[in-house]
Amino acid sequence: MQQPDSAELGRLIEAVGLNRDRAAFARLFQHFAPRLKTYLMRAGAAPSAAEDFAQEAMLTVWRKASLFDPRRAGASTWVFTIARNLRIDALRREKLDSREPDITELPDDPLTPDAILSGADDTIRVGSALSALSDDQARLIKLSYFHEKAHAEIARELGIPLGTVKSRLRLAVIKLRSLLSETQ
Amino acid sequence: MTSIVHIPAEETLLAYAAGTLRAPEAAVVAAHLALCPESDRFVAELQALGGALLGSLPPTALAADSLGRMMARIDADGGEAGAELPMNDMADLPEPLRRYPLGPWRWLGPGTRVRTVGVPKDGDCRVLMFSIGPGRRMPQHTHDGVEMTLVLEGSYRDESGHFGPGDFEEADTATDHQPVVDSDIPCLCLVALDGQIRLSGLVGRMIQPFVRL
Repeated sequence: MQQPDSAELGRLIEAVGLNRDRAAFARLFQHFAPRLKTYLMRAGAAPSAAEDFAQEAMLTVWRKASLFDPRRAGASTWVFTIARNLRIDALRREKLDSREPDITELPDDPLTPDAILSGADDTIRVGSALSALSDDQARLIKLSYFHEKAHAEIARELGIPLGTVKSRLRLAVIKLRSLLSETQ
Repeated sequence: MTSIVHIPAEETLLAYAAGTLRAPEAAVVAAHLALCPESDRFVAELQALGGALLGSLPPTALAADSLGRMMARIDADGGEAGAELPMNDMADLPEPLRRYPLGPWRWLGPGTRVRTVGVPKDGDCRVLMFSIGPGRRMPQHTHDGVEMTLVLEGSYRDESGHFGPGDFEEADTATDHQPVVDSDIPCLCLVALDGQIRLSGLVGRMIQPFVRL
């Protein structure tokens, strides 16, 4: 089956919200659940815990679909914030991040043009700002979405103090912010 | 309301958007976002970046029965979210704080009161709300790790500057600050705190063994 684009994903969420459309939900599940599982595994969770997390996040999508407003956020962004909120609880309950992440398994995937273009306008803008950063800066920022302790790993890998990694991350986010404000 | 001067560091907003802050810290940042459109806009963009990253992740195969299990769950669920907690008794709080249960106000010293905010704790890190009278100092406390403060009403001053409604201050173990309330109304603030509060004065030392906050 072809990957649904952002507009299509948004319509599917609206169909769930308006009509409790089970077929639309199944398609959303097939798109998002395997990616949510990857997201949690890269944050250090075991596969079974990551699978449970994906189910919990999708149950929240089912329950809250009527609150989705495509003018405020794209479909992926909305699902991401649901997963993010669940993750804050999950980190506390199960200490998902107690496992040391293996930095060689952490993402280095470029944000592909497809991924950027499949997003809503805000995603395109943010994606192009990210691509205007240096490779190191973009990598640091992307790592931050998966694991805060990744900073310690980067420090070890590069042989630089943790404080240096933190100050580089700080510079990277500040640069990202100024790039974003230029394109507003 | 005066304009907000002190906002969280960019990397703190990134950690919030990414979901790597601890729950008590995230609650204080979320309350700040409700008061500060500038921070809120930046976080919305960082969330959009999170959405783009999520969309670009390679899928991991699910367990064979995963979709069937999911569909059974939503059928059993009936589509209703669990009952929401009732609103608490402080109608002027920013919306993200309204549904946290609040503990009773407890006396900490002259003009100084504290109540717990029912955000799930993370280790020793929890959320407290302080009300501190004009001219009074914040109670001393041990600093273990990062402390985040959001002013809700009134204002205080410390060596980093003047903090009014919506302002956010982050202090780490190296900071030894002693804010003094400089508004003519009590300063109400929300704090995500790791360390223990040390009560000062004779009475404070006498009741200290009974105060577990």
